[in-house]
Amino acid sequence: MVDVKIPFLAEGVESGVVVSILVKEGAQVKKDDTLLELETNKATAPIPATISGTVTKVHVKEGDEVSVGQVVVTLAESGETPKALSSGQTKETKAVPFQTQRQPAISSSALQQDEYRYESKSGFPPPASPAVRKLAQQFGIDLTRVKGSEQGGRITLQDVKAYVERLQAVASGTKQSVSSSPQVVKSTSIDFSKWGPVSKKALTPLRKTIGQKMQESWSTIPHVTQFDEADISGLLEMRKKYSASYEQKGARLTVTGIILKILVQILKKYPKFNSSLDENSNEIVEKKYYHFGVAVDTEQGLIVPVIKNVDQKNLLQFSIELAEIAERTRQRKLSIEEMQGGSFTVSNLGSIGGAHFTPIVNRPEVAILGLGRGTLKPIVKNGKVQTSMMLPVCLSYDHRVIDGADGARFIQELVQLLENVDETIFKITESEQKSMGKKSK
Amino acid sequence: MNSKKTELVVVGAGPGGYAAAFYGADKGMKVVLVEQDKRLGGVCLNRGCIPSKALLHVTKLISEARESKMRGITFAEPKIELNRLRQWKDSVLGKLAQGISGLAQKRGVEVLYGRGHFEDSQTLRVETKDGQQFINYDKAIIAVGSQPSMPAAFDLGNKRIMTSTEALEIEEVPHDLLIVGGGYIGMELGTVYATLGSRIVMVEALGQILTGVDSDLIRPVKNYAEKAFREIRLNTKVSKMSTSGKQIKVAMEIEGKKKEELYDRVLVSVGRKPNCEDLGLENTKVSRDEKGFIKVNEHQQTTDPSIFAIGDVAGGVLLAHKASKEGRIAIEVITGENVAFESIIPAVVFTDPEIAWCGLTEAEARAKNIPIQVARFPWSASGRALSFDRPDGVTKLIIEPETERILGVGIVGAGAGELISEGVVAVEMGATAKDLAESIHPHPTLSETLMECAESFYGYATHSFIKKRSSKEEIVT
Repeated sequence: MVDVKIPFLAEGVESGVVVSILVKEGAQVKKDDTLLELETNKATAPIPATISGTVTKVHVKEGDEVSVGQVVVTLAESGETPKALSSGQTKETKAVPFQTQRQPAISSSALQQDEYRYESKSGFPPPASPAVRKLAQQFGIDLTRVKGSEQGGRITLQDVKAYVERLQAVASGTKQSVSSSPQVVKSTSIDFSKWGPVSKKALTPLRKTIGQKMQESWSTIPHVTQFDEADISGLLEMRKKYSASYEQKGARLTVTGIILKILVQILKKYPKFNSSLDENSNEIVEKKYYHFGVAVDTEQGLIVPVIKNVDQKNLLQFSIELAEIAERTRQRKLSIEEMQGGSFTVSNLGSIGGAHFTPIVNRPEVAILGLGRGTLKPIVKNGKVQTSMMLPVCLSYDHRVIDGADGARFIQELVQLLENVDETIFKITESEQKSMGKKSK
Repeated sequence: MNSKKTELVVVGAGPGGYAAAFYGADKGMKVVLVEQDKRLGGVCLNRGCIPSKALLHVTKLISEARESKMRGITFAEPKIELNRLRQWKDSVLGKLAQGISGLAQKRGVEVLYGRGHFEDSQTLRVETKDGQQFINYDKAIIAVGSQPSMPAAFDLGNKRIMTSTEALEIEEVPHDLLIVGGGYIGMELGTVYATLGSRIVMVEALGQILTGVDSDLIRPVKNYAEKAFREIRLNTKVSKMSTSGKQIKVAMEIEGKKKEELYDRVLVSVGRKPNCEDLGLENTKVSRDEKGFIKVNEHQQTTDPSIFAIGDVAGGVLLAHKASKEGRIAIEVITGENVAFESIIPAVVFTDPEIAWCGLTEAEARAKNIPIQVARFPWSASGRALSFDRPDGVTKLIIEPETERILGVGIVGAGAGELISEGVVAVEMGATAKDLAESIHPHPTLSETLMECAESFYGYATHSFIKKRSSKEEIVT
């Protein structure tokens, strides 16, 4: 019986993770056959059989962390090669992987899905030009896993490229599925109870999702937030004037609803704010539709339902829809489709309180409007001090797509529109109602 | 105490050492190159490859002049002035050595003449003629090479018992020359001395000259040697040598029978040993194998993390071009590249005719049970070979049956050494026989034999008729 131990791997490499086990108990192996593959912080290392024989015991399983000197496999010597052991030990240097100064581009754990293995009866490595082989060495690519496209199975540069691309696709796929939590450096757990009583609650799935989305937006988008205030005295008067007629139709006229309606006008003028950035094709995708996300506070946390085609609905119709969807949001009865496809988002914290804040852009959108609580303030108008209801307006946007000047123009015009609200948007006519009614069905 | 710091010190300025030093300097390193000889270039330039080829060039001239007689051109018997021959040979070596030291200067490589000795893993002491120099280095490459072995029993201190080093000096042309060892050095120098007029007896302990080379490639060389040498004695062991006046008395056992003879000179060419003595390796973590060669991995790293070894001293085949390649690998590893030695090493024996091969040999395939197909093309079918009257050649390809990939190439014939490089490229590129067959080779040249050999694998070589499949049936399993 001979125990195969993890050999000295490289300077500074004391341990590794078993990424694949290539033999089963009872299997016959030849000396130098790879028994298992180890992934270390430097490279992937094959652990070879030190003698020819039968695998009597595999001591580890995939995913195990093992360290130098640890027994991983036990082999029973086969009768015909009694001398193999001593020569196997001198050969051990060959199995020692070179301490790569550079990390291999792709770890072979990602390769596991790839079944292809070059095999040659002559025992020669796969055919490839010296230039291609050197490249493979430098990037830690195992050419026996690359399928050659030329006559005789020769591997070309193109083949290596295609292989690497496939690996990257696999690797990024696994990354997404594995790490659903944001890519933050995890802090070690701190025992807060040593400073006083605490209670613990596991993160809800919703909380995790919010966290992940916010982290993603925050870390990828270079944010700029601009602040302003709009005198909404006129707007509130208008709301007062029409509230009753809206209530008669079963609708509640809200500041959010009115502002969303006004937003359509300004977004039509500044289409960049209603766009997305395609990071792969380096294109700005301007949307010819106006689907607005509205941040809704629920017991469990923030949810953003999307109201589609705001431009095609009149204020009455839209107000009904907004109230209805907000209610279903609070009851957590939204379908996934109702949370997708937004082109712009509004977060109104006015009903709760607070003035200006810095909303986080709802990726892949490029801008978000935050509204604070309106307060009566003394302002100077036409050379006179007067009190007005001032609404804090906060506009955050993605600086990759939108520059500060555009942001300033946008917010300034928005304030203008809010201060000089167009009364026609409030009006309800019978014919409009009917036609709207049809559309909404 | 005279001490300096450097990033890289290379000990030994042979074809491995100077290649490594130059490449290191080209990569931006501060390099010190240490050489104990007065001249750069190592054994290759001073006592090996180059002088032997210069002499072989001359002897080829002589043989060709002699052979012209049958073609209607008769020259007078050559008058050989050994002094002038030696001078010319030395001038060639001088020119090359000067070239190397010029290249070192241009690259800013500091050359230190003196013997190097490791004090520890980070310090090399050099005994120069101006006293001791201590070099504190980040990395060292040992490239001190090898020297001819001289078994103690033959080491009488008699200058008539020579190694290749002395033989290349051609102090005289002995009347009777015994060559002990039928490897490539014995065969090459035997060719030189035979042409200059020595009567040669070659003894070889094994059952074949040029052991390790495919027997079909050896055959033309053996035919030549049997004519040019007085005798080739296989399975023969030399047991004793002693001085007997101006001659050497040699006792040997020829296939069990004892014999004593007198020779004017003896050339001992029984192998080479690494120059590891007195290098201070015991002060480092460098370890050696049972034959005394320094142990390295495929990155040329020794067991001492700051020391690399390349060339003869690191074992394997003892060839200059292997040393140079290893030197480049070592430098790339030192500069952080992830590379390893994995090239095939071509070999050339400069006999008459030359033998050259690369990659897998037929003998190796047999020994390792590797299934192969062999395609052969005889030079008797080559117009070029016949045009200079050397049909005694063969070109062959060792082919992987399923893929038709060329695993090895073997050539025997005049100028085989110049032809083998195409084979090297083919094997390194993973070329198939089809690739060779489909590439136009110029007519009339010897290179056509490679193309026609590949064609014959498919059964349609223009100048050689082989019944279809016959060549394909030649499968070694």
